[in-house]
Amino acid sequence: MAQKLRCALVAGASIIAATMLVACRVNRPANQHAQSQTLYTATTSDPRTYNPIIVTDTASGEAVRRLFEGLLDINPKTTLPEPELAERWEIAPDAKSITFHLRRDVKWFDGVPLTSRDVLFSLRVIYDPKIPNSIASSLMIDDKPLAADAIDDYTVRFKLARPFAPLLYAVGFPIIPEHVLNEQYQNGRFNQTWGVDTAADNMVGSGPYRLAQFVPSQSLQFLRYTNYWMKDEQGGQLPRLRSQTVLIVPDLNTAYLRFQSGQIDVYSPRAKEVNDLREKAKQLDITVEEIGIDTGSMFFAFNRNPRHYLKNGVTDPKLKWFTDLKFMRALAHSIDKTSMIDLAYYGLAEPAVAEISPANKIFHNPNLKDYEFDPRLAAELLEKAGYRLAKSGQRVDAQGNRIEFSLTTNTGNPEREQLCAIFKQDLEDLGIKVNYRPLEFTTLVEKLDSTFDWDVVLMGFTGTIEPNNGSNVLRSSGNLHLWDPRQPKPATKWEADIDRLLEAGTAEMEPHKRAKFYWRIQEILHEQLPLLETVRQIRYTAYKNSLQNYQPTVWGTYRQELMQFRSD
Amino acid sequence: MLRFLVNRLLNMIPLLIGITFLSFCVMSLVPGDYLSSLKLNPQISPEVIRQMEAQFGFDQPLLLRYGKWLWEALHLNFGVSLAFRVSVTELIAARALNTVILSASSMAFSWMLAIPIGIIVAVRQNSIWDRVLSFLAFLGMSVPNFFLAFLMMYLALKTGWFPIGGTFSVDYASLGGVDKIADRINHLILPVFVLGAAGMAGLMRLMRSQILEIKNADYVRTARAKGLSERIVIYKHVLRNALNPFVTMAGYSLANLLGGAALVEAVMNLQGLGLLLLDAVRSLDIYLVMGSVLMGAVLLLVGNLLADLALVAVDPRVDFSSISSQ
Repeated sequence: MAQKLRCALVAGASIIAATMLVACRVNRPANQHAQSQTLYTATTSDPRTYNPIIVTDTASGEAVRRLFEGLLDINPKTTLPEPELAERWEIAPDAKSITFHLRRDVKWFDGVPLTSRDVLFSLRVIYDPKIPNSIASSLMIDDKPLAADAIDDYTVRFKLARPFAPLLYAVGFPIIPEHVLNEQYQNGRFNQTWGVDTAADNMVGSGPYRLAQFVPSQSLQFLRYTNYWMKDEQGGQLPRLRSQTVLIVPDLNTAYLRFQSGQIDVYSPRAKEVNDLREKAKQLDITVEEIGIDTGSMFFAFNRNPRHYLKNGVTDPKLKWFTDLKFMRALAHSIDKTSMIDLAYYGLAEPAVAEISPANKIFHNPNLKDYEFDPRLAAELLEKAGYRLAKSGQRVDAQGNRIEFSLTTNTGNPEREQLCAIFKQDLEDLGIKVNYRPLEFTTLVEKLDSTFDWDVVLMGFTGTIEPNNGSNVLRSSGNLHLWDPRQPKPATKWEADIDRLLEAGTAEMEPHKRAKFYWRIQEILHEQLPLLETVRQIRYTAYKNSLQNYQPTVWGTYRQELMQFRSD
Repeated sequence: MLRFLVNRLLNMIPLLIGITFLSFCVMSLVPGDYLSSLKLNPQISPEVIRQMEAQFGFDQPLLLRYGKWLWEALHLNFGVSLAFRVSVTELIAARALNTVILSASSMAFSWMLAIPIGIIVAVRQNSIWDRVLSFLAFLGMSVPNFFLAFLMMYLALKTGWFPIGGTFSVDYASLGGVDKIADRINHLILPVFVLGAAGMAGLMRLMRSQILEIKNADYVRTARAKGLSERIVIYKHVLRNALNPFVTMAGYSLANLLGGAALVEAVMNLQGLGLLLLDAVRSLDIYLVMGSVLMGAVLLLVGNLLADLALVAVDPRVDFSSISSQ
């Protein structure tokens, strides 16, 4: 018996050894990227579609952005629009029409020239109500679509009902080929076209890269489009990188390991990884660089929606507290932003004051003064406003109600959970009881969107350069006007002021003149405090030293076509 | 036997309807739906959400929607994923092969190791072998899968002996035939170990307890008294009886073949159904979830049936009447 067992074990061991010997055949060095001029990056999930109009998630956007281009592109360094498929444009003196002159040397991947026909087709698709997409709302003026017509094959004119500055930031929408997609569109099958089951060769774009291969849950490969219209200053063909591979790595920790092993060339480290990478920079032959401050904002929103607080004819006292400016100012003084920065972001963040990020150079208001973290001042303000500390150590309002409310955010985000924990602690030091319970994302959305069954929520929005893109949040009738959405008419004077400023901000064409309106909006939000801003992360990048001309900014990579590997 | 088979197959129908209906209800009645994730996007207006709701049929009553789904499913049309706008069958098929390869390999790994080791420790009960291997078994059972997966990834980085996750190399498509197989095996080593480790531990303990129980039975004592060698006693008599629960488990394992292991897939970056389906549940992509629930339920019931048939074949004490009591 022992002999038979020994035989079995020897057999097993030799199978394993043979397996490993066979496998070793395939172990190749990971660093052939420079030789083959192939850039490797990573993303966290599979693309859901290749259709650039239908795209709603970042992973799909990542997959198609290399294939498609728009009339304009926003320069991530200056944050101003620049020519892309349109080589120049003219705004009429009354600002009620814009004429775009298309480049004449752009060809789709299948060799067909790109003309105004394609621009008009793309617009038709975007405005079609049967094709729900996220582009249409930014191309509407007062909820009405624009009129566009083709003056000739290479000239398109947009007609506006009134001057509308955000339009220049919105016309970067992807242009799609009419000769490829029109049939599907006419047959009503546009929504199902160019899904992830599409053969790579059928993806016809005009951009610097073509889709070469998609292996589900593993990788996306892009090959340079040799007939791309863009040339560098010396007339050399662009892009310089022969191909790009995007590895699909769902787990951030594993992505970090793969970066350290050299399989990934450019990586966005999380706060906790930055210092570790700095120490290993020489050994890994990488550079770790700060690129700027996060473009979005993260804030505590306080529910001021009367519908939530009216139950059986009795209004919950919370509504009074949250609309009492003295109460909110005291709370603003009790947010320990320094601890948030140190604990959640390892020191790599800055306190947020204005609702628009400093990364948005033109529209950020730099003149606002933060509410200093001062628990004693906060307690004093509360006492003076009538919220006294009872003998039990609990804070109560003038009617004797215990100051208590619920705090929530979405699960699965360790930084947010930490910020909530710190805020809860800060408030408890004032005698205010906070019941913190994170919720699954879809449950949270339902509360914010339908039932309004929440008191305080920690929420974040990503930033865009065009401030009007946040109008759904800022406008009193907006569905994302978190603290009191979808008002039939503004509930307060300051909300009416914001509505007026938003209107005025779209009518002024010159960016720096527009900025004044948005600076005033940020000032109002800072005074009225429906949102308590928290902190903004400082963004870093880490990349291999052999990569040249890599110019990252928080708004995107500047002139990606110039990137290449040092050839030595 | 025919009566038994027909009986079981007929029993499956109400079971499948019950399972799918329950799942459909749960998916429909939880707060939110697939469009919830789009509601917080400032670029997507409420009108767009409403249009999508109409397109997806969310405004129709639950029973009607379930009925439609069931009718289509009977025609082998499992609907279209809300997230991908691609047919559910297509999405599952793209990942099915690799999931099966992974599950089958890890099952083979754990069974091929568990059974001999289980026998050894049972035969040498309380020896040093027994203690060490049992300890390792408990260790394997206690360490969570995803943590072990991450440890293995770290090991791969530090030693460079294994690829750091992935199911194939990036240039798999350009490899020759033999190299392709070698590449797949290379990438399978760590995942199979991680997925097999926990299972192996449990199986080993089960085999051990089975053999210990049977080792001292009367008929075994008789066999020894008759003069049979210990080897024949263990391998021919004890083992055959000890395998009963394993036959049943093998049947259940059929369902796991296409289930995948979501957390391990995420950490080790594998192509598999587990992560696809976990994401589908979390984003409430209802038809993708229903497709996978149906698939899992069918495999489970079929596996159950096969296990029962195998049991009848293997164990002469068991006949159709004793297993058709459900």
